[in-house]
Amino acid sequence: MGSRRERGGRHLLRASLCGLLVVAACRQGPPALLFHAGAGQRSSLDEIAAVFTAQHPGARVDFSYKGSGYFIADIAASRMGDLYMPGEEYYLLQAASKGFIADYDPRTDIAAHFITVIVTPRGNPKNIVRIEDFARPGLRVGLADPEAAAIGLWQEKTFIRAGIWDQVKKNATMFAKCIPELGNAVQLGAVDATVVWATTAVLYLKDIEIIPIEPRLRGLIRLPVALLAFCKRPELARQLKALILSDQGRAIFHSHAYGIEVGPADADGFCADDGSATALDMKWLVEAARVAKDPTIPVTPETVGHLVGEVNRQRLTRW
Amino acid sequence: MSTRSRSRGFESALWAAIGLVLAGSVWLFASSLYQTDRDAVATLLARPWFWRSVWLSVLTATVTTSCALVLGIPTAYAISRFAFRGRAAVSVVLDAILVLPASTVGLSLMVAFQYPPLLALQDALGFRVVHSLAAVILAQLVLSLAFGIQAWRAAFDDVNPRCELVARSLGSSRTRTLLTVTLPMAKGGLVAGVVLAWTRAMAEFGAVLLVAGTFRMRDAGQFSQLARWLGITNADVLSVGMWMEIEGGRTGQGVAIAFALVLICAASVYLLHRLASGRRAPGRT
Amino acid sequence: MVGSTSVLSLSQKSQIKQIAWHGLFGGIGALLLLAAVSLVVVNALFLGWSDFWHYLGRPRTWSSLWITIWTAALATAISLAIGIPAGYALSRRRVPLSGLAHTLIDLPVMVPPAAVGIFLLGVFKSFPAAELSTWLGLQVHHAVPGVVVAQVAVTLAFGIRLIKASFDAVSPRYEAVSRSLGASLPRTFFSVSLPLARNGILASVIVIWARAAAEWEALMLFVGGIQGRTDTLPFAVYLDWNGGILGWSLTNSLFCVVIALGSMYAVRRLGGRGHVY
Repeated sequence: MGSRRERGGRHLLRASLCGLLVVAACRQGPPALLFHAGAGQRSSLDEIAAVFTAQHPGARVDFSYKGSGYFIADIAASRMGDLYMPGEEYYLLQAASKGFIADYDPRTDIAAHFITVIVTPRGNPKNIVRIEDFARPGLRVGLADPEAAAIGLWQEKTFIRAGIWDQVKKNATMFAKCIPELGNAVQLGAVDATVVWATTAVLYLKDIEIIPIEPRLRGLIRLPVALLAFCKRPELARQLKALILSDQGRAIFHSHAYGIEVGPADADGFCADDGSATALDMKWLVEAARVAKDPTIPVTPETVGHLVGEVNRQRLTRW
Repeated sequence: MSTRSRSRGFESALWAAIGLVLAGSVWLFASSLYQTDRDAVATLLARPWFWRSVWLSVLTATVTTSCALVLGIPTAYAISRFAFRGRAAVSVVLDAILVLPASTVGLSLMVAFQYPPLLALQDALGFRVVHSLAAVILAQLVLSLAFGIQAWRAAFDDVNPRCELVARSLGSSRTRTLLTVTLPMAKGGLVAGVVLAWTRAMAEFGAVLLVAGTFRMRDAGQFSQLARWLGITNADVLSVGMWMEIEGGRTGQGVAIAFALVLICAASVYLLHRLASGRRAPGRT
Repeated sequence: MVGSTSVLSLSQKSQIKQIAWHGLFGGIGALLLLAAVSLVVVNALFLGWSDFWHYLGRPRTWSSLWITIWTAALATAISLAIGIPAGYALSRRRVPLSGLAHTLIDLPVMVPPAAVGIFLLGVFKSFPAAELSTWLGLQVHHAVPGVVVAQVAVTLAFGIRLIKASFDAVSPRYEAVSRSLGASLPRTFFSVSLPLARNGILASVIVIWARAAAEWEALMLFVGGIQGRTDTLPFAVYLDWNGGILGWSLTNSLFCVVIALGSMYAVRRLGGRGHVY
């Protein structure tokens, strides 16, 4: 009796183990594209991936989102991935110098542009209106680690050009590892002001104020996309890259507050004209932050321009 | 004959399992030796940042453990000795903290301290917790305290209440009984709990990453006068520093920090077992 | 008359002393409990009902929950398959060099889980594991099997300790009787020791599962987060926090709190223990 029971027990254990393993194996699913992308690009890339999988039934895109600087180590360690889209060409060139990039053409493979803006907590309690205000003693400034995140490079560039880098560094109370961390800090009121991409700012419309930067200090950052050398399904990856660079893809980026037609940039990547090419984008961004906070204003292209989708999404939830 | 061979099979299965676990543990650490090399270790040891980080980690873990002691010993004593309603609930909450993800702990603290009423209170006091050294202590304290209370409670449970009753009946006051009977009898277990709490504080990573983040770019001037006096400047908590090195692509140095943490933790775990085996016979046969 | 008043006041005095004593010790504990409860309450208030419902309606919330449940279950099964014999052996046999052996067993759960993640990278880059995973066709980086591996690595020692404690609670005398009546070792184990330790082991199963379900740091370094694939609930908390979706992050975080409290309540009902160290 006992031995039968003991065997029964063991069989049961084995059967359940096998069952679980089978479940695990089945859930491996179809092979997918692995896409390394900066944490700031999540909202638009998720939307593009939805369009892509609708066009290519059976295909799947797995995104790995992190601070842009952190991918080099990840790619070097795992030697995996099909596409790479860091928040700054700098990181992509670094990866290229290590031989990780299969094909990238700096003239054509720019999906969109980030535009730098100032953000503050709701109501702008410290009354920040321009870059020079960041030098004010006692202000809590959020910065990012340039080694980790693309925005860190640009904050440094911007404040150096404004001639206040040393004071701003003294004011810094945090060094973020990726850009949404700065957005969170402003949203929760942990810092008084920071500089982020417009596309990051647009995620927090209800809880922050957005202040455009004067053209001389307004950064226009190229957002590159490239195939990796370890790409396992180059055909499919090229199709996704083509979608990202197509008009449809660019429209999706635009609706998430990326710049599409940004005008000329100088050698450092700052706005080279009087800012007229990005002026309209900036206007809608400020309007969107106002409209998102006031439920009585209807959300239409007349009130928030191309940001209707973002404002509508954020009206659904508090956070 | 078949019974004997089955017994032998059973016995070898037991030892195989132990062997597998031991080999797995050794291999887990040993297989990473090639991930670092002498150059990386030498570079790391030559970086003042590393030594400042060791200092910061030891300091914060010690402060955390002291806070855990002050808060934990009375609580553990109360749970062990007093019969009160909701004792089971307290135990469930304490146990639950041990299986709470670090990300949840970090996020909860982050959100709670930015909750408007609490934010107003902090501003009134002229001090912000998030992204400060206090945030490091707080993030470490959650798990450290939970582990500590469990260990200290077990230590008090091991002391026979009768000894206390005898002391009391002989006219000793509660305080005196606690100081001269209970605490000395529970000493071994209490010390083991302190070591455990310290180890947990040292090992905390996720919650610290979310609430405090990296300090390597912040010099003493950006912290308080106290921090300047303690020499805390441009340093990271070791576990966070390890993560930053790995993610930044300096794998060799990151792994070297990981080994440093393993050495620290191994020493305290060994100490823990020595303390525990001094208290009870090691396993029954 | 006089004597009785003084006796009364004496007992009153001692009562006051007792209350003060309890207040002193219990007060700090109550304060801690209050802090823990208000932490969760503040988070829930911050989130609010409407956001909570909104994110409950998103399929990814449920897929994260499902991934958490089954990866942790698989990790628990593996931990048990190794942990039951190992725990039994530790409970009943003398292990040579016990101080060293115990330190080695405990070390993976005492070092930062993030360090375990780093070391797992090393394991899967070197001889047996690398070849084995290629041969089996199991991809660990950026894939689900890696999640299970990481969970096993950080829960196995936990499991062994808990199971050892469950067997410790069973008197070896029953086994001696069974053996003296002629039952073989394995038979004694399966029909005496295991059934007697049943409740303890069931409780251990829950604790191991809950601990595996709470793993995030090792995953972050070893596996990497792919939303909808490898993001167990604790990982989703971090991913959504870094995606600027605070509401979703808080929703997942509250799920984690419920899982932790629920499983520890179940453990208590089973009469087991939720901690080992």
